[in-house]
Amino acid sequence: MESSSNEHIDYVFKVVLIGDCGVGKSSLLLRYSDDFFQESYLCTIGVDLRIRTISVDDKRVKLQMWDTAGQERFKTLCGHYYRGAEAIIIVFDVTSENSFSNVLRWYEEARQLSRQDTVLVLLGNKSDMADSRAVSTERAQSLAASLNIAYFESSAKLCDNVKETFTATTRKMMEAYQKHHRAHLPDDLTNSKSLHMSQPIKSSTSLNCFDCSIM
Amino acid sequence: MIIKPGSEVKSEETVSDHPLNPNPDSEWCVYFKDNEKLLQIDKDCRRLYPELEFFQKATRFPCERLTNTENGIGALRKRVENCYLESHTVSRSRLGVTKMDTTRHKTGDSRPFHTLGESEEAHWEVVERMLFIYAKLNPGIQYVQGMNELLGPLYFTMASDPNLEWAQHAEADSFYCFTSLMAEVRDNFIKSLDDSICGIGGNMHILMSSLRDSDPAVHQHLLSQHIKPEFFAFRWITLLLSQEFELPDVLRLWDSLFSDSQRFGFLVDVCCAMIRLVRRNVLKNDFASNMKLLQNYPPSTSIEEVIRAAIKSRKP
Repeated sequence: MESSSNEHIDYVFKVVLIGDCGVGKSSLLLRYSDDFFQESYLCTIGVDLRIRTISVDDKRVKLQMWDTAGQERFKTLCGHYYRGAEAIIIVFDVTSENSFSNVLRWYEEARQLSRQDTVLVLLGNKSDMADSRAVSTERAQSLAASLNIAYFESSAKLCDNVKETFTATTRKMMEAYQKHHRAHLPDDLTNSKSLHMSQPIKSSTSLNCFDCSIM
Repeated sequence: MIIKPGSEVKSEETVSDHPLNPNPDSEWCVYFKDNEKLLQIDKDCRRLYPELEFFQKATRFPCERLTNTENGIGALRKRVENCYLESHTVSRSRLGVTKMDTTRHKTGDSRPFHTLGESEEAHWEVVERMLFIYAKLNPGIQYVQGMNELLGPLYFTMASDPNLEWAQHAEADSFYCFTSLMAEVRDNFIKSLDDSICGIGGNMHILMSSLRDSDPAVHQHLLSQHIKPEFFAFRWITLLLSQEFELPDVLRLWDSLFSDSQRFGFLVDVCCAMIRLVRRNVLKNDFASNMKLLQNYPPSTSIEEVIRAAIKSRKP
């Protein structure tokens, strides 16, 4: 899975998954990074990181995907995780009305704690469970439209639309990146061994945003 | 405490209580609030140690008062299932007729685990009941994810005791132990204490300063890579490392942790030792590989080695 260190990388993006407990954030990431599904999965305490390098439009993109804990208790930690994120995916469970009604809360928090150019995406998971669906695609779409963000639907279990969601999100991140005149990483940086070297550059800007929003 | 209102013989004044009573003291009102708590606990207990068969198996000693179908109390499992049925799609047709979608939401789909018979009870259900009662007894803490990971190993140890007389009282015994354990580590679970010295933030700070003293190079390296203790040590400390090692190793480790006279100072020593044992990798890894390393501690490391290293580093 891990790309070799001397591989050419055009972009390094940080993607954070948020949403209620049990909506399938960890399962989505496990499916996407390791192509694996487990019916029952440990609950995430704190945060988990997964990495995958993909090619989008001839560009090599390294995705750093942060899997966060859903419970209210862990929200104080979220500031650390949102920091420097190029995209935040708000996940809900299409069979749970409750997880859908909390989307707005997650959205507001994400907006507050992230940069202005951070790409936000709404994702309805567990689309395979048609029998117990509680939130229709139309309702989710209209909510996403009102928030002016993209909506996707996926099933981590059947591996349906997971890859497509991440690819589309990556494309949006690339657009946002170029739009804000951030020259992408110079070659000498990407060829070096340490991926983290891109971190300080980006996180410094987000740090300012973060502080401003508090004041 | 876990009985549905109205199912027990009541005195005159409580008889007037009903499910739609808006009074906050109403037993029904409390009942519905509790259900939210219960749903969360239920979700987490069903996925307790998924790699172990133990928690999915029926206990030999179910709580008879609940599983006995005659007195009608019913297991918590039933209560959870009823909660799932609450959501119906109500649509209003153009003529103004309210139509309720009668297709029951299949609970079977969302439950990957087979449900046991009426008179049976799985081990995870016993854990669920204990956590629910703990949450009710401790309204200031309630239930926080991760508590299940602390109670799990305790209950496993008690319930798998070869002496059946002891195993029979596993629920009571592990509840007692869990309550005593929580009395010592509960501050880690309390959000408002996060930034205080006694909360999880303080403990992570102690860990990092201890690492700075014992291995400045590694400490500096993590710092330079912006790897914060929140990214790995948060889980290590709150769960007493129960998610980092296999269950038998966790039990071995906990023996040492619980016998520590300056609890839980030894936990910090162990965490520090864990980082130092992989220091060679930490120093050459990049950010992502280090995060991976610390979040998925190499299973090849023997717990004895970790404990030995921790004891050795202990200040006299």
